[in-house]
Amino acid sequence: MKLWVPIFVWIVLLASSVPVRAQTDAEVSARKDALDIAGAFANDGFKIRDGHWCGAIKPHDRAIVAVNLYAGNQYWFSAGATEPVKKIAVSVYDEAGKQVSTEGYDNGDKAAAGFSPANSGQYFVSVDVLEGEQGTFCLVYSYK
Amino acid sequence: MSRLAKLAVLASFTGVLAAAGAAEPDHLTADQMAKAVKSDSISIPTPGELFVALGKSAKINWSGQYRGPMPVTYSNRAQIALNLGGLIADGFIAVEAKDSQQVKNIGSDIIKLAKALGVSEKLLSRGSTINEFAENNEWDTLQEELEATQNEVKAAMQSHADQDLVILVTLGGWIRGTQVVTAAIVQNYDDRGARVLRQPALVRLMQSKISEISPELRGEPLVKDVTQQLGEIEKLVSFPPDKPPTADEVRKVNQAVGKVMTEIESKEPAK
Repeated sequence: MKLWVPIFVWIVLLASSVPVRAQTDAEVSARKDALDIAGAFANDGFKIRDGHWCGAIKPHDRAIVAVNLYAGNQYWFSAGATEPVKKIAVSVYDEAGKQVSTEGYDNGDKAAAGFSPANSGQYFVSVDVLEGEQGTFCLVYSYK
Repeated sequence: MSRLAKLAVLASFTGVLAAAGAAEPDHLTADQMAKAVKSDSISIPTPGELFVALGKSAKINWSGQYRGPMPVTYSNRAQIALNLGGLIADGFIAVEAKDSQQVKNIGSDIIKLAKALGVSEKLLSRGSTINEFAENNEWDTLQEELEATQNEVKAAMQSHADQDLVILVTLGGWIRGTQVVTAAIVQNYDDRGARVLRQPALVRLMQSKISEISPELRGEPLVKDVTQQLGEIEKLVSFPPDKPPTADEVRKVNQAVGKVMTEIESKEPAK
């Protein structure tokens, strides 16, 4: 794929997803960080979902979203967070709430978890603050 | 991010694999799972995701899954929304088939249907982008562009106080996507491909979103009928996690979603 294409898609994704409400500057910044990580996987053939999930996050109060995944696909869940969050983690759980083994990426306020489900169905993705104070996060995911 | 920086990011993953695998598994409580966010934009997969998963198990004759031209002259807004979702799923099929002319045809129909809902202004530029990507055979980009188009339609619906129609677009896409996938599996059964059909929570999520729309819209004959049939479809896609559906079970899902799709496509809405 030509280099300009992922750049164009990145701009489109930032500009066009469903705005349930206006995004704050912190959410835009966190989303940009999440898309930066997801962009790295695009080089490996992963397609970035246009949807995203942003919000407030604080220590000891994980943010959890339900996702529906297909057996056979590979997924990366990428998250970014803003100051004063220092370090976050992304984890994946099956429909019974049991944590599944994932590939991981950890770079302070950016993190990602890679997962290939053996079974189709509902899973849960959590974003946790490991270090720092309450801040804003954003999660995107990609698949191939 | 530069290409080099991206590679550096990817390279850093291998170092944390072992740590991730070695950690003591954690559990979510029932309360945490019940309170988990469930949003249209991230909890509900696109038809494209479903097709990619199916394509992993076997070579699929995607162009064999096309349907004939559909009317773009519906007057019922719920029916337009459901068909718009189905049409977007058709766009993903054309992308999988790598058929640029079909992508362009469907892109044009998407604009026409969106126009009937009064949400087409911003989409006109999207239509020309789809055509450009189709002409240049940028299939990966087209897949993302189709989802962006769908989200733009939904965003426009929300800004036009038509937010109740959003879930109908999503539902129409899921029904058409499931119709195509079950038809492909029935034609050439493979238990690895059949595993993609296990989605009871996804159907429940769509049912729950429909229960939140206005009583007037929910009471429309077509919406009411589709919702009722969704309850039956949920049972049909509730397979045990470790047991793929049989060819006969897949056929039953195909018949159920095919029946709903026929009603959605019908020029005369259900009475």
